[in-house]
Amino acid sequence: MKNTDKILVDLAPRKFGKVGVLWTILLIIVSLAGIIAYIDQVIKGQIVTNMNDYALWGIYISNFVFFVATSFVGTIVVSVLRLTKNAWRTPLVRIAEIISVAAIIMAGLTIMIDMGRPDRLMNLFIHGRMQSPIIWDVIIIPTYIVISLLLLYFPLLPDLALLKKYFKDKKPGLSKFYGKLSLNWTGSEAQKSIQLKSIHILAIFVIPVGFILQTIDAWLFSTLFRVGWDSTNMGAYFISGASVAGVGALVTVVYVIRKAYKLDEYITDFHFDKMGKFLVLTCAIYLYFNINEYLIPEFTSKKEEVTHLNHLFTGHYAPLFWFVIIGGLVIPIIILLFKKGRKPLPMFIVGLLVVLGSWWKRFLIVTPTLLNPFLPMQGVPESWHRYFPSMHEWLITGGTLAMALLIITILVRYLPVIPIQRTADEQELLKTENTIK
Amino acid sequence: MIFRFGFLAFVTVFLLNTNFNKVRAQEVKKNAVRIAADYVKVMDGESYINIKATSRVDKQNVVVPDIELIISNEIGDEEQELGKVKTNMQGISKFVLKSLSDIKPDTSNTYTIAVAFNGNDLYKRASKSVSFKDASITAKIVVEDSINYVSATLMDAVTGNPIQDQSLTVQVKRLFRPLMIGEEFNNTDEEGSIMVPVENDIPGIDGILTLEVVLKENEDYGTVKAALDAPIGVTFVHESTFDQRTMWSPRKKTPLFLLIVPNLITFGMWGFILYFIMKLFKISKS
Repeated sequence: MKNTDKILVDLAPRKFGKVGVLWTILLIIVSLAGIIAYIDQVIKGQIVTNMNDYALWGIYISNFVFFVATSFVGTIVVSVLRLTKNAWRTPLVRIAEIISVAAIIMAGLTIMIDMGRPDRLMNLFIHGRMQSPIIWDVIIIPTYIVISLLLLYFPLLPDLALLKKYFKDKKPGLSKFYGKLSLNWTGSEAQKSIQLKSIHILAIFVIPVGFILQTIDAWLFSTLFRVGWDSTNMGAYFISGASVAGVGALVTVVYVIRKAYKLDEYITDFHFDKMGKFLVLTCAIYLYFNINEYLIPEFTSKKEEVTHLNHLFTGHYAPLFWFVIIGGLVIPIIILLFKKGRKPLPMFIVGLLVVLGSWWKRFLIVTPTLLNPFLPMQGVPESWHRYFPSMHEWLITGGTLAMALLIITILVRYLPVIPIQRTADEQELLKTENTIK
Repeated sequence: MIFRFGFLAFVTVFLLNTNFNKVRAQEVKKNAVRIAADYVKVMDGESYINIKATSRVDKQNVVVPDIELIISNEIGDEEQELGKVKTNMQGISKFVLKSLSDIKPDTSNTYTIAVAFNGNDLYKRASKSVSFKDASITAKIVVEDSINYVSATLMDAVTGNPIQDQSLTVQVKRLFRPLMIGEEFNNTDEEGSIMVPVENDIPGIDGILTLEVVLKENEDYGTVKAALDAPIGVTFVHESTFDQRTMWSPRKKTPLFLLIVPNLITFGMWGFILYFIMKLFKISKS
């Protein structure tokens, strides 16, 4: 058993090695490229994108939906596992909270990137109509950002106080920083009581808010009368898809952090096994929803639905569609059903597949539907029937993804990725139980 | 020597060629303009000349926009200018005759209005004259055996004599095109009158129908139109949602449930957030 000091040494934030520094530089470069491309887009207008009257939502919106989905990890892992009292969650929740914060912040920024005139952002609040799901989105995203930050912050308080002490002599500046953030945490009973009560309420509270966020995101589509979107199933479909994206991202990031910080003793095969089971459950549910979403329209064979589905099944988007379904869901399910498949490395590969599949899935939700409207426009150029993002769009989207990873990287650099106090308490409890036995 | 002659020949041909071009430029073929002009009189309203200018260019009929047309009153050999109009982008213009008393008829009480175009770089000069006598239509609603009829009389406005055996059209004014009622041809009798039954199931705003009696493009009298409003239609209930709170209304007319429920949820969520922030303060003070 490790004592608190040993745990503190193991889990306190530490400087990056060479790989970490290179990784951070790479993310900064990609982010800067995205910012430069975005500035050019603001100057020249969205003419620099390949969006048109057909593909009026392009890669930005699919990227936005991906970020919103990924942010659901805060709800699905942190709250659900906390409320169901799954003790194995301890080394994973902080990472999930960090991913959630990064993803929802970038979702908010990405939606602004999609606006032709970002200087008119305030008009959304001044002239927005409550009848429009877009306004609901405008309300829920800042709300979820704040809640995600609170969900990250409350459990951090004891750890910040520990870090204040830990860095007192080594790095007084950093110690001061942690001290300010720890809000004079002393670990008194009164403080513990308030903190635990708040975390418990937050854990309950974030579930409906997370569900509202995902559902609104789904309603942005399903309230429009378009092929592939006109479904009453979309809310649940998006929630299950978000669970897949969130847990997939968690598995991937956990693996990288474990490797980079050498946390094998804290994040064990047991945790990967549990995450694997969780991921296979979410993937199976999402696969079920996908079957519903594609099989029933195919079965009823409405003309426009069939045209849309043919594009997906055998047409232009078939390689991408089958990659998403088979590579992003079926293969992960098969791998994860086996115990060996739930070992760290296979899990990491599966996580990557799931995340990649999740990203392209959002592209498939947005683009093919827009290219197949119920009322096709007459006399438009042939090129408008196709859409592939421009260099600007790729650079900006790449920039946003890099920024999300950069937020995660910075938070991982300065925050303890595994709750120190809670880990110490759990080990102490375990020690006491063993002594009694 | 050969070079000199060659050079001279080249320059001569070049200059001649340039000259020919000039000649050709001056002789660019101008297109003929066709002017169509119709006289229209609206009873208790204005009288005007409807004008349309077209041309045949490259075997296609095209409208002639933005040309100036001179409108004159012709009396025998005399011509008195009444004004000028320009065609719009559809080649159409309208010249309103302020009052028929301002223009002079010939001995047979026929008015002649000439529309002239003086030509420009692209089009030849053209003219068209339209002759008409002044006619009037009086229309009213009469009820016989519980059936509503439009009773109309066509008369020569100068002599006061009824005009017989002329076809009048009876129609109900609608938003896009008029709704024709009665027979296709309603010829006036020896008293210049017609009687056309009006069906009792035609909808109108507040039950009011605007009935029109029209003498269409008559050779002698042009187009004469009389209109009357009659409360003989089926009351049309205008189902506008303009004043209601609907999903498609502006923000000031948002449905109440959409104002109450999302706002309750929003304020509820932010209430919780404030509660948590207060708890953070409490922790820092504990």
